Amino acid sequence: MNITLKQFKENLLVYGANVHEWPEDIRQAGLKALETSSEFRALLAEEERFERVLTTRRYEEPSRDLAERIVSASQPKKKKVWPSVVGFFSELVWEFSLPKPALTAFSVSLIFVLILGFAIGFANLIGSVSTEGTQTDLQEFLYYEGEVL
Amino acid sequence: MHPHGTIVFLPDHGGRKIIENMDTDFSHLDDESLIQQVQQGSHEAFAAMVNRHSNRFYRIAYRLVFNKGDAEDMVQEAFLRLWARPQLWNPGKQAKFTTWFYKVVINLCLDLNKKKKPLDLPEDRELADRKPGQDALLGIHQEQALVDGFIKELPERQQLALNLCFYEGLSNKEAAEILGVKVKALQSLIMRAKTTLKEKVKRHLGGGSI
Repeated sequence: MNITLKQFKENLLVYGANVHEWPEDIRQAGLKALETSSEFRALLAEEERFERVLTTRRYEEPSRDLAERIVSASQPKKKKVWPSVVGFFSELVWEFSLPKPALTAFSVSLIFVLILGFAIGFANLIGSVSTEGTQTDLQEFLYYEGEVL
Repeated sequence: MHPHGTIVFLPDHGGRKIIENMDTDFSHLDDESLIQQVQQGSHEAFAAMVNRHSNRFYRIAYRLVFNKGDAEDMVQEAFLRLWARPQLWNPGKQAKFTTWFYKVVINLCLDLNKKKKPLDLPEDRELADRKPGQDALLGIHQEQALVDGFIKELPERQQLALNLCFYEGLSNKEAAEILGVKVKALQSLIMRAKTTLKEKVKRHLGGGSI
């Protein structure tokens, strides 16, 4: 199979200057034409120079950590968990592998202690406020309008 | 037991289960098997995919957006979209993962180029225009800038054909599939692109260059 100069030129554009990488069905015709004609060789040389110019095109290598950055950006972000009593106890159970009945008993007793503590605290607070109120009333009575009665 | 090792299920904030294969080597898997693992929620398979292909897709992105930072952003965006919606790759429709993913990256780059204002030709271009036919005097940077400028001036599809076939070394068939055209049409795009470039190179860099 022979190849014309026009066909050779087109194949150079489409498949490039490396004739050995042309599709099999036209490769042999291309190589044969190069062996026999200087015109074909001149065309090939011109294409090779042109491709060299094209390869001078500017190129910057990617950052070394590009892949790493992509992978870390794809990782799910942890939700911000607000501290909660339920969460605390859940973690406690998970951490110490406490069985549920034990957790319930512990929780109930803790709540009972808390309530008791609040009750005692409030009772004391009410008593102290009333005493202070009495003292204030006495001062107001003694120093009424800046004069000692 | 999973065929690829120990599996740990981690709850994802999106409601999806992420599988972590703690002792898996993905290097023997082809892209299509790997993407199927990603579709099942394997983050390690996704990481293997990124490690395997990020530089390859960066190259085409860089050739299209002409900027390192933008190219990296586009590749990252494409991979994050893949991770968010891996089901978009349909093995029934697309023969090869890379063919499909080239389309994803290219579309993102073209969208970015549309958003950006038209790129100016490099300043070096004026120098070359004033003295047509000069050769060898232009420095390598000026030559690079000129070639970049000429390629930017090509119609979008010709640029794509040239980038995929000449710079990426893809076969005409694969490049045609990515661009959604017939092989003959793709070859015509390459021929027109190269013919135009050759004329411009001759005119601006001188006949001695080619």
